Amino acid sequence: MAIIDFINFYIVPGLLLGSIYAVGAIGITMVFGILRFAHFAHGDMATMGAFIALAVVGLFGVTPWTALPIAMVLTAILAVGIDRTFYDYLRKRPAILTVMASLGVALMLRSLVQVIWGVDPQTYQRGIVRPDTYFGILLRPRELYTFLSVIVIVVALTIFLRASKWGKAMRAMSDNPDLARLSGVDNRMVTLLLWTIVGALCAASGFMLAINTELTPMMGWFLLLPMFAAAILGGVGRVEGAVLGGLIVGMVEELSVLVMPGQYKAATAFVILLLILLVRPRGLLNGKVL
Amino acid sequence: MSHSPMSVSPATADDFVLAMENVRGGYGDADILQGVTIKVAPREIVVIVGPNGAGKSTAMKAVFGLLIVRGGTVVFDGEDITGWAPNRIVKRGICYVPQVENVFREMTVHENFEMGAFLRKGDLTAAYDRVYQLFPDLKAKRKTPAGDLSGGQRQMVAMGRALMLDPKLLLLDEPTAGLSPKYMEQIFQITRDVRDTGVSIMLVEQHAKQALAFCDRGYVLATGANRHEGTGAALLADQEVAHMFLGG
Repeated sequence: MAIIDFINFYIVPGLLLGSIYAVGAIGITMVFGILRFAHFAHGDMATMGAFIALAVVGLFGVTPWTALPIAMVLTAILAVGIDRTFYDYLRKRPAILTVMASLGVALMLRSLVQVIWGVDPQTYQRGIVRPDTYFGILLRPRELYTFLSVIVIVVALTIFLRASKWGKAMRAMSDNPDLARLSGVDNRMVTLLLWTIVGALCAASGFMLAINTELTPMMGWFLLLPMFAAAILGGVGRVEGAVLGGLIVGMVEELSVLVMPGQYKAATAFVILLLILLVRPRGLLNGKVL
Repeated sequence: MSHSPMSVSPATADDFVLAMENVRGGYGDADILQGVTIKVAPREIVVIVGPNGAGKSTAMKAVFGLLIVRGGTVVFDGEDITGWAPNRIVKRGICYVPQVENVFREMTVHENFEMGAFLRKGDLTAAYDRVYQLFPDLKAKRKTPAGDLSGGQRQMVAMGRALMLDPKLLLLDEPTAGLSPKYMEQIFQITRDVRDTGVSIMLVEQHAKQALAFCDRGYVLATGANRHEGTGAALLADQEVAHMFLGG
């Protein structure tokens, strides 16, 4: 197999899948870091975001990529609403209650998607798109846009967290919540910002998976395990770790078909999760101990 | 068990930056403090010592609103702040440096200072200049994550973070815990330097002998109540205090 074929058939799909996982894993790691709970509704929130984008496409007749930012805003509002309605209520109780509540929210979101849009697979646009060639590398426009969007999202988020006052406050809250409060950081504002970002990221990851495959009510649920594996692999609470973890999990999944039957592809994330928890529970970039 | 008179301080009651009087309270239902009185004058370093379980740190937390106060009053800068929430007290001008977990480990030294000034608006140049002048060692490490520093330097970051809000009163909970004697001396010296910039300081210390030697005034607590008070030198000379701490 020529190098270029290897790149086109394994590396590009691995990076594509990995960057979609990365965007989802960033949200998981941020919720873990700041609110200290595992957000099980993350995948189904991504499904919801993808279907909201479908609705925007259907209602306004815009292209899917134009619908994406609108869907990100709407899903962000939804995420803040879910936090206010369900999680906020449990904030002072043990974290496991919120984890269970998020599982309930996951089921509610999925059922809502099934009620509104039905259970059959859907797509944003019909028809076959031929890939373009860039120095021998085959990329469809939607794949190119996916890569570009992920880069924009990661860079924008990094700048926000590193350079802005409230971004630093979010990092401080993740680092040492008691000291952040002693410094006068308003918990509620951080939580509001967190869910805004998480909702937008969910919509982006769901949309990007859907545009590269198809929309199904279960798509987000299947994203959950690789996204958690990516977040824990990178180190809980570490945004850059989640990106790294996402890319690794995506790449390993795609490469696994070289040595294992393709049906086991989905199990690789689980294997990575088990291995990292056994060998290096703090993750590659020294995250929090769970 | 006699309370010595306040003859050692030249200040009258109104002149105190902080006056906690006869405070009782605890974290839950039980009172850990059984009536504690501690006063701090402007530009004064007051040290609280006492055996384990005496309520030293608890007394400090009572000032900062981290305790359920069931009796007595805490007056700061002429205003009764008893029962205020910590974030309100911070804005009023008291900053607190906890004993442990007192820095943002994953954030740089400079970002720690920035977080200290979170509530401040406007130009912070003077505030940064002040902390880097007090802690010149940290200037070269301003981009280093605080978690990578030595224990002594972390303590400096913690104090610097608290000073960014320009407090009138700084509360230090065992700032020398776990530090080598060399660093302990350094922290005491820095505490004096901070005082000289116009801040009153109340600190809790495990190293009673060294702390009493360096402070302006000291309070000895035992089982949640005042036991002795006086200048550091007077307390060091006191037979009973010596017996309690100094193995005399």
